[in-house]
This record gives sequence, C-alpha cells and structure tokens, in this order.
Amino acid sequence: MYAFDYQRPAGLDEALAALRAGEDVKVLAGGQTLLPTLKQRLAQPSALVDLAAIPELSRIEHGPYFLTIGAMARHAEVAASPMVAEAIPALAELAGLIGDPAVRNRGTIGGSIANNDPTADYPAACLALGATVVTSTRRIAAEDFFTGLFETALAEDEVILAVEFPVGARAAYRKFRNPASRYAMAGVFVAARDGEVRVAVTGAGQGGVFRWNDAEAALSADFSPAALDGLTLDPSDVMADLHGSAEYRAQLVKVMAKRAVAAIAS
Amino acid sequence: MNFSIDGHAFSAEPHPGQCLRTFLRERGDFGVKKGCDQGDCGACTVWVDGAPIHSCLMPAFRAADRKVTTIQGLASGDALHPVQQAFLDAQAFQCGYCSAGMIMTIAALDETQRADLPRHLKGNLCRCTGYAAIHDAIDGVVNVSDDIAGNACGASLPNPFGPGIVTGHARYTMDLDVAGLTHLKVLRAPHAHARIRSIDKAPALAVPGVLAVFTWEDVPRRLYSTATHEDHLVDPDDTYMLDDVVRFVGQRVAAVVGESEAAAEAGCRALTVEYEVLPAVFDPELAMAPQAPVLHHKGGEAHGNVFAEIRGEVGSIAEGFAEADAIHERTYTTSRVQHVHLETHGSIAWKSDDGRIHVRTSSQAPFIAHEKLCHLFGFIPADLHVFTERVGGGFGGKQEMLTEDLCVLALLKLGRPVKWEYTREEQFIGASTRHQMTTRVKLGAKADGTLTAIEIRVVSNTGAYGGHGSETLAASLSSPMSAYRCANKKGEGFVVYTNMVPGGGFRGYGASQSTFAIECAMDDLAKLLGIDPFTLRRRNMVTADDWIEAIWSGVSDVEFGSYGLDQCMDLVEEALATGPRRPVPAGEHWAEGTGIALAMLESGPPTEHRSGAVMELLPDGRYHLAVGSTEMGNGSVTSHRQLAASVLGARAQDIDIINADTDKAPFDTGTFASTGTVVAGQAVMLTATALRQNILSYVARITATKPDDWALEADAVVGGNARISLVELHAKGTAAGHRFLAKRKAYLSPRTVAFNVQGIRLAVHRITGDIEILQSVHAADIGRLINPMQCRGQINGSIAMGLGWALTEHMDYDDTGHLKNAALRNYRIPSFADVPRTQILFADTYDTIGPLGAKAQGECAINPIAPAISNALFDATGVRFASLPFTPDRIFDQLQPRP
Repeated sequence: MYAFDYQRPAGLDEALAALRAGEDVKVLAGGQTLLPTLKQRLAQPSALVDLAAIPELSRIEHGPYFLTIGAMARHAEVAASPMVAEAIPALAELAGLIGDPAVRNRGTIGGSIANNDPTADYPAACLALGATVVTSTRRIAAEDFFTGLFETALAEDEVILAVEFPVGARAAYRKFRNPASRYAMAGVFVAARDGEVRVAVTGAGQGGVFRWNDAEAALSADFSPAALDGLTLDPSDVMADLHGSAEYRAQLVKVMAKRAVAAIAS
Repeated sequence: MNFSIDGHAFSAEPHPGQCLRTFLRERGDFGVKKGCDQGDCGACTVWVDGAPIHSCLMPAFRAADRKVTTIQGLASGDALHPVQQAFLDAQAFQCGYCSAGMIMTIAALDETQRADLPRHLKGNLCRCTGYAAIHDAIDGVVNVSDDIAGNACGASLPNPFGPGIVTGHARYTMDLDVAGLTHLKVLRAPHAHARIRSIDKAPALAVPGVLAVFTWEDVPRRLYSTATHEDHLVDPDDTYMLDDVVRFVGQRVAAVVGESEAAAEAGCRALTVEYEVLPAVFDPELAMAPQAPVLHHKGGEAHGNVFAEIRGEVGSIAEGFAEADAIHERTYTTSRVQHVHLETHGSIAWKSDDGRIHVRTSSQAPFIAHEKLCHLFGFIPADLHVFTERVGGGFGGKQEMLTEDLCVLALLKLGRPVKWEYTREEQFIGASTRHQMTTRVKLGAKADGTLTAIEIRVVSNTGAYGGHGSETLAASLSSPMSAYRCANKKGEGFVVYTNMVPGGGFRGYGASQSTFAIECAMDDLAKLLGIDPFTLRRRNMVTADDWIEAIWSGVSDVEFGSYGLDQCMDLVEEALATGPRRPVPAGEHWAEGTGIALAMLESGPPTEHRSGAVMELLPDGRYHLAVGSTEMGNGSVTSHRQLAASVLGARAQDIDIINADTDKAPFDTGTFASTGTVVAGQAVMLTATALRQNILSYVARITATKPDDWALEADAVVGGNARISLVELHAKGTAAGHRFLAKRKAYLSPRTVAFNVQGIRLAVHRITGDIEILQSVHAADIGRLINPMQCRGQINGSIAMGLGWALTEHMDYDDTGHLKNAALRNYRIPSFADVPRTQILFADTYDTIGPLGAKAQGECAINPIAPAISNALFDATGVRFASLPFTPDRIFDQLQPRP
C-alpha cells in the first residue's frame, strides 16, 4: 500500500471532527473494498478514520416495526443473528452469501451500502424492503440513497450510523453468481407486504441497483412465478461487460426473480 | 501499539499503510503466505480473535490489542490441531502453499458450516489438489498407508515435508530473512508495441530509498530465450534482459532497486519514459499477412512473424478423403490461460564471502537457469549456485527464467542481496501463458466409421516472444494425431509472433489444445455417421500392435512400454453406465448430456532430457539421496524415496532427500514434460540399484561370499543366518577405506506413452447457462502406481485445471492489448464448489520402459477434460461449443434461437 494517517476515534463526535479536519479523509469500515482499492492506488486518502472502536455502531436491534442494524455490524454477525433471522430471514440469508467467510468476518453493512458497488447484495435488500439509512445528520430513504454506480446521497463528512428495515414482509433473495466472475450478475430481492410487491435488482443495472416496476405490477396482481413469464426486462437499461451481454443479464434477472417468488410462495 | 501474535505479546509500530500480512512476514512469520494480496485466494488467512480474515485486507494497526493466530500458533506445543493432523492423514496438499490459509479457515468452521463446504471454502483457492484430498481431510479420511521396508513402491506414503507444510514451517522461495536485503521492482510497458526513445532515471533516483535504476543500456546486449530447455536451440533467441523495443503490454521496461518494496515501486512510478508507439498486431492470422508489422528483426529464425512452420503427411489425404463416405470439417479454438500457481515467480540473489553467487529461485529447471545466467553474465559455472527451496506450484509456468537474471544483475552492480517477487498482476501480464491455438480439423470416414483421412492445421499465437512455441506446436501435431490409426494423415502448423503476452509451457503442452479439437471433431463425426462415440473411437484408436505414427513417416523413439487404452475405454463406459451420479437439478430449462474424450501423451519430450542422482549409505544406517529434479507439488520427492527404498529393501522414511540444487545434486534438465518419474525417477532407480550392488559386493568381499548370497533389509544385510547391521557395515567399510556411494545418470529414450479417458455427465440450464457436473469418471493408463494416493492427486488436480480451462478461465484483452482481468477476482480458477468428485480408475498395466513399471502421469489427465465437456454439451443441446471457455453467457448466446 502506501503511507497514510490512521485515526481510531472512540466516539462519533470525535470521528466526525476527524473527517472534517483534513482534505480527502476517508472512513474505514470493514476495509474489504477499501484496502484493495488503496493497494491499487485507485484511491489515495491522506487519512483513514476507523469506526471500529465506536461500540454503538455495531448494534442490532429488533423493535415492533423495525429491525435496526448498526453500520459497523459485520456480514457474519448479521448472518448469524437470531434477531435478524426472526425479523427478516431473507436478510440473514443474503448476508451469509456475501463474499467468503473471511470477508464476512470483516465487511460491514455500512461499508457495503456506502460503497454502492453495482454488484453488491445489500442495496437490493434496502430497496426492496423500503429501508431507511440513518446517518449522522439525517434519515434517507433507500430510494433516495442509491444515486448511481458507486454513488450515494452521502456527503463527504456524513457517516452512516445504521440501516432501519421495516419488518413484516415476506421476502427472498436469489442471485446468480457468474462462475467466471464470482460476482452477482443478477441478484433479485423480492418483498411482499399487504398486497404490495417490491422487486429490487442488483448486479445488472447500468445505474446500479433498481426496482423492476413491471414485475412488481405483475406480481401484485398474481404472486406466482408464472406471472413473470410474459415479461422481459428492457436490455437497453442493463449492464454489459466481459462476463455477459445485456440480453443475457436481462434473462438472468427474470430467472432469479421467478426463483425468489417461488421461494416465498413455498 | 500492543500486539499478541501466536501467544507472543510485544509492542511495535507498523509502517503507516502496512497490512497485517506484510507486518507478520516482516517479523519472520513466514507461515503466512502471499498468493494475491487482494483478498481473493485465502493463502494469507489468519485468525483475529478466533475469526479467520484475509490478513492482506486488514491494516496492521487494526490487529493491535487483538489476539492474532497464524498457522504457526495453531498447534498446542507438539500436539497438532485436529485439522492439521487430518491434513497429514489425508495428505490434503501437493505444493502446500495454500495449506496454511486453508487449514486456518477449516479449523474455524462449526458443524453447520462444515455441512456447506462449497460456501464456506469459497475464499480459499488451491490449484494443485482439485480439492478432493482437502474434502477427505475434512471428512476424516486417512489416505496414507504404512511405510513397510521393501514395500515402498505401490504404497500411499506421505510427503516427507508434510509436517512442515501443515504447521507453516516449510520454507518456500521467499520465506527467508537476508541481512541487507534490497528489493527489485520493474516498470512494465503500457503499450503493445513501442520503441523506447528515452528513459529519465533522475526522478526515480531522487525517491528516498531508491538505490539504482537499470534500463536496456545497463544490461548485457545478449540474446536468449526465457524458456528453459536442455537444448537452447529449440527456442528462438529473441529476448534481451531489457530491450529498447517493447512488444507486449507488460514487458519489462526498467528495473528499480530500493531499500524496500515500497521505495522500488515508488521509483518505478517516478520514471519518465518516452515511447514511440508502433503498430501492433494481436491476431496471428493478421500477423501472417504481408502488410503486418513485423515484431522481430533479430536474425534468421523468423520468416515475417512466422518463426516456425511444421508440416508432415503420411499416406495421401487426397486419396483418403476421396474414399470417404462422410467428411467433417470445423475449426476449434482454445483460450489463453495462466497457470496460477499460488506462489508467484520470484528469486533472491546474494554473494557469499568466497565471492560465489547464490540464487534461490522458484524454478522447475534450476540447472538450465544456471546455464542461462552463465551465458548472460559470462560466469564460470563453478562460481554460480542456483537452487530451489519448496516451490509453490509450477504447472509449466516455472519452466522459464523470469526473475533470476535481473536479481543477479542488480547484485553485481550493487553488491547487496536482491529479492524480486512477482505480484499476482505481474503473473498475468508479465509471465507466460498457455499458447492460444486455433485448430482446423478435417476428418474423412467410411460409413462404418473407419477413418480414411485426418488433416489438421494449427495456428499458434505465441505472443511477443517464441519460448516453447515450436515445441508446443510439434506436440500439438504429435500424440493427439498418433492416438488414431489412419493410413492418411496430414498436419501443418504455424507459430506466429503477435503483440501479446508470450506463451510458454503449460501442463499438457500443446497437445491439450489439439486434443480438444480432435476429440470434439470425433464426436461431430460420430453424430454425422450416426455412430456411438465409444464405438467410433474403438474402431479407430491405436492398439498395442500398431505403429505409432503422427504426421511424419520418419522413425521416432516412441513405443508402447505398455498399453491400456482399451481398458480405460471399458472402465469409463462401465462407470458412466453404473457409477454414482447426482440428479438433474429441479426446475425448468435443464438439459442433460454425456460426453467422453480420450488422450494419449508421450512420457517425456522429444527434446534432450537427462537427470542424475547420487546416493550414499550414512553412518546411522540411513541413506542420503540427492537428485536434480524440482519438487513443486508434483510429489517427486515422495515417489523418488519410494523408488530408492524399494530397490534397497528399506523404508521410504530411511531416506533423506535433497533436490534441485546445482551445488548438491547432479544435473537435471528440469521437471517438466512429465519427466519427474520417467527420467529423474529412472536416475534414482539406477542409482539405488548401483548402491545396492556396492553394498552387497562389499559384504561379499569381506565375507568371502558372493553378492547374490546377500539381501538388503531395512537395517541390515542378511545372508542365510548371518546378519550385519548397516551401521556396523558402514563403520567397518569406512574404516577400511570403502565408500558406500553411487551415482548414475538417466537419459530419456525410448519414450513410452500414457493414456487417459474422461467421461462427463452434466446438466446445462438453457437460460442461465449454468453447468452442473452430475458425474465425472476418469480412467488412466499410467503403468504401475508408485504412490496411488499421489497419482489420484495429480489426476484430480489435472481435472480441476481442465474444468477451469473449459468453464471459466480466459484472459480477456481490449483492442489495444491490455488485459482486462489481471486479478484472481475476475480471472476465476475453480474453487471447492466448482470441482465435482471424480471417480478415478486405473488400467492394470506395467510399463517396460519407465522405472519399476511406472510411466508419466502429471500432465496427460488434463487433456480429455475440456473436449469431454464440450461433447456432453453437444449431447445435451445439439449445439457444438467449439471455443473455450464455455462461460454461462456464451452458453446462453449460443443456445438462443437463431432468426
């Protein structure tokens, strides 16, 4: 890597002060994306502010209406949490499918959504479940939080504290991991609540995570895999790269959506 | 900051920006390995507070006040952790480089996680084993057998370095602390073809910690080839250590030496280079065209960009096709792939007090590297010592001299020890690859399937330099063509320079590429004729009574030391019909199919190959064996001990062994082309036989008997009721001036042949393109099994590598010659989840040429894998997938209805 300053504040105020203190200061959450990025010199911050010593950021709480997951909660903790398993089992399952065990032992939900990699898993869950991102200054609906590839509504000196997920939806997540790229080439999170169905897609959108409105409408009318048979996702909005064409990804999204619906229906 | 590493508490300040992996290794915790430095391979896995993490992705400061456990701290004193013991019992490693990380991950799994290994082992890659032995270890399977004196051959004996591997104490090339070490890094070319106008060293030399910069003006202007062969003339001398013309993206431009890796890297970034960009060509067909830019003007070897053309015809294919009832013709292409041995290339060079130069390197051919360094620098051979420690995988990639030369250059200029270790990215852009080949196959046959003509045309994209180019092409035209009996055969091939990363040796060596083409074409022909693929092959495959002939009518030194292809075919057919398989996955859009392919490979190369061994009886009654060949995970150290022990009536564990060291072992051409058993093993057998004769003759002399009256046992010579312990004999003999020493050489000729047949049953999803292997069956005719466990290990590893080639691996370039996936994150080698268990079966043969009945077994098993999968896809879908790899998106694209 290269030399940079390191700060390990014990409280949120101290962390925010550190973020404002210098040019190009970055937050260090789990580091599973940031460290490779630094090693490749794709980012060269002057200092890193490590959030690991702020205990309240790792909390997971289950209230009557919301499951609240602290920004520094690690994927392995979310996957293993009895509270998450009870409140939103699909979310626990999703967390257990991220990366590999070593990555799950370090990576955090806050880091994942702040990075907003177009192939990341959590953004699909946030969007489908109608989560709210709680930051050091405000509350942001997931719809407004993810603004583009690797882009979010976060300001430079704003820190994610937690993600609030409404409980009570029936939900499932299915992803197709391309064997040649390892990444989700189509991850579909389906959530159904009181007749309203949300279908959020990751890994395939040119602008990052998105909701598939046609599928939502079809499933709201008839919640069954067959309801999607007549639909086709418009390939012109779908990502193409060395691992697959837009047409291919569009088909993958449909297959994964049908599998998620089937999983909920069973 | 306070650290606790493996129970040792201490205070230290990591460098700013340092990751935990380099922090641990700087302290001498060499059990923690570097495989990728990007969190993709798992070789550096350690525990932090009991949870496994990638230590390359954790800043060192984050480990402060936490409890770090490495592989070296996993055992409790002398008591191994149960997973370490399980790895020994199952011998769940070959090169062992991944074992430290693999064990740390597995040791942290709970029972639930063990029930879902594909998911929980996703982060740990192994390139050698195909994961079968690792799965065995997790299941508590004991694969090793007892080491009984006189019965070493044929027993599944463990690797003598196993305890070091599972505890992290085995030392690989870079696991060495050298006082005053300097670090070398190179700047690599950003252009596919360019002339270097100028290099300004000053900004690099101004970087703190930079000691020196070397450019093309600082190196001996002497041409050579990085490929290592005994006969250097088989490769074109087309390379300078540093050149003023770069011919591929990633070629060396300049070397910077610094006090630290960071300083050397900063120096590389600071260099100012002015390039004159030249036209580039990437496609070999275009490179053969008259107007193409010509890459090399260095001598007579190249004809335009074609530096080698090979042709031959036996019989008359014109007549053969004229008498055919059916003709099939199609082009098949294979992809450029990388070896991905987990230990990257690297060397360390230093000078001893007596002025001699020592090079510790990760090489399959240290003796040839020694010769090349003498050639480049004008050394007297005795002044140079080249050797290996444990080598973390090779697969042909280390049949090159890629790092030794610049380390020696810097050592000579600076007088200080120099180390150069490749990054994973450099493995992809600056090492060798499998030659991309395009093969046109034309087959003619009678209605009953009898072949009347076989014609192939191979175009090999050798990239910017021609190492291994002509030899891999010759191999592609050789054994795959010999595998079928046909009166009329013709082949022609071209090795073409392009502005791509160079090709090199790679397990299967050219034969893999044309086997893919010919075996796919045989199934295409079978379909055309309406004949079952087994029947078509049996009707035409070479039999023990046939003359072995490819496309040349001249005589060769290849013959059947044994023949078991017929058995292999029967074994695979039977197993496919009756063996265990998984069901087709539930849901719509799945199609099922089966496919087979056969492969024949000569045991050893047509080029010169020799080896040597020295053996000695030691005062304590044990033996010492020195053999020149490299152990890189292929198991040769284990099997060589077994060969020697078998001859000497000893136990394998009674034999100490060293290898691959130009000071301490006799010359060996190199461990490649499946020669570890048939050449180096032959040298060991001859040497052990000579030592046995030496011992028995001495006993006969002092007892006034005949040597035949005596036999060697584990600790003694025995004749009738008389028994003299080896300890006593050694003492007596040495006192009398006798020397219990023997040395022999082995030369490869004649060469025998080995056979492999693969059967695959798979299901393919027509929309997602997902392929599920439902059944994998492999039969091998590799003669007598010196070590059945290791033979299965080599085959499992070959199959996994073949699956990677067939299904996922592909070096993907943009139109300016830049590699788009130069990382393990998007260049995917198979992980645990991707490799099904294979039912491995062996033909019952005993070779009359190879040592103690054995023949080659390290390479050939990869060759039938990709075509068997293509044939199964063809059976399932009716569509021929003729280009590797069969990635899901390509499956989808080809299965779409065509307008």
